Amino acid sequence: MARDSESERCRTGIEGLDRILGGGLPRSSITLVTGDCGTGKSSLALEFLVRGAMFGEKGLLVNTVEPFGKLISSIPRFEFSDKDYFEGEEIMTLELPDLLESAGLMEQVKEEKAILDLCARLQETILENGIRRLVLDSLTPLHFEIGSERLVHHLLRRISQILYENDCTGILVSDSGPFSEIEKIVADGVLVMSNYDRGGDLLRTMQVIKMKGADHSRSRYAIDLTTMGMLTTPLLKGGMH
Amino acid sequence: MVEDPGLRICERLEELGPSVSVAMEISFDSYFDAVRGLVDNFSNSKGLHCIYITSSIPATTLLGALETLEVDTEKVHFIDCLSHMLMGNIDPNERMIFVESPTMLENIALKVEYLMRKNGGEPATVILDSIDSLAIQNDPKILSEFLQILLGGLKARETYPVVISMVEQSRPEIREMVHLVCDEVASYFEEE
Repeated sequence: MARDSESERCRTGIEGLDRILGGGLPRSSITLVTGDCGTGKSSLALEFLVRGAMFGEKGLLVNTVEPFGKLISSIPRFEFSDKDYFEGEEIMTLELPDLLESAGLMEQVKEEKAILDLCARLQETILENGIRRLVLDSLTPLHFEIGSERLVHHLLRRISQILYENDCTGILVSDSGPFSEIEKIVADGVLVMSNYDRGGDLLRTMQVIKMKGADHSRSRYAIDLTTMGMLTTPLLKGGMH
Repeated sequence: MVEDPGLRICERLEELGPSVSVAMEISFDSYFDAVRGLVDNFSNSKGLHCIYITSSIPATTLLGALETLEVDTEKVHFIDCLSHMLMGNIDPNERMIFVESPTMLENIALKVEYLMRKNGGEPATVILDSIDSLAIQNDPKILSEFLQILLGGLKARETYPVVISMVEQSRPEIREMVHLVCDEVASYFEEE
């Protein structure tokens, strides 16, 4: 199916990130946001959804890690918007067990057919609700749930296809580690969040490693997660040897 | 001759206009007059927000001093790079943001960005007090890179960026670097 998007870029709305990406994420692409714990992966992904809702793009959060309330309470409350989009219809939230249950897959997720059924359920949700932005946070528990690299690869390929066919732009959140290698292969873009230790000062950083079809910066940036959203500034090099 | 440096500073900034980064060289004895000039005579009289980055005096002390001088501090926000490191008072405060260490230069730039956004992008005076105290803990190379990025970003937003340099503390290489990075140099001290 041909893409019907007006623009080839999906503006994340996170000013610094859009500048680094040369305008935004490639529309209908799938981007892996990976990194150590506490580096701001979930904050970035949630801000992507909220900014999208502010632009009138409906979002879907598939949450696999912790109860939604706990996830929300762990990030700064955004002050750039008066509205709580997670309360309204602009951003839907699904917890993995609910998604598995709705697809009748609680016990059989280790089978190929189950992966296809799960993806079909996800596609239905995207189509029925006109979802333009998807966040899957995080992929790491799915690796444990599914247990087969081949099936995880298959799942990601299918999600990538669904997003492309339905003009939906996605972010996959994943902890860094051996598992994230499969995601890196499948994803159109890879954004690495990390902690940078400079003489005992721990700075949060972000770096775009890969973004198909985008003329993006490959430099490393320092970030801050604030109530005004994620802020970026170039990581200083003067002290590096 | 250094008569009423506060007023002279105000006149100089008016003359230069926004988007011009100014290195302000002052001496210890004119320090509080200069600060009052920047915050009160200039910022307040123009109705500007004032973002005050302090790495030489804790923000609580500075705020207290300004209040003693009967300066209206309603539109002043401090970025304090000292108190955390000194294990001083870092109680959450609407008017103050604390940076863990003066060596976390990127975080200083990010806090400035945060306050600019919080103020709705309205015009502001941004004061860095002082480059010499930051130079105690930072290498001149990284400091010049920091200044270039910080001032470049501020100039693009029609702000009034001011870098304070204390003549008694200033090392030649830092003075040279500040002269190179800033657009203008304004001196308010007696030449020996």
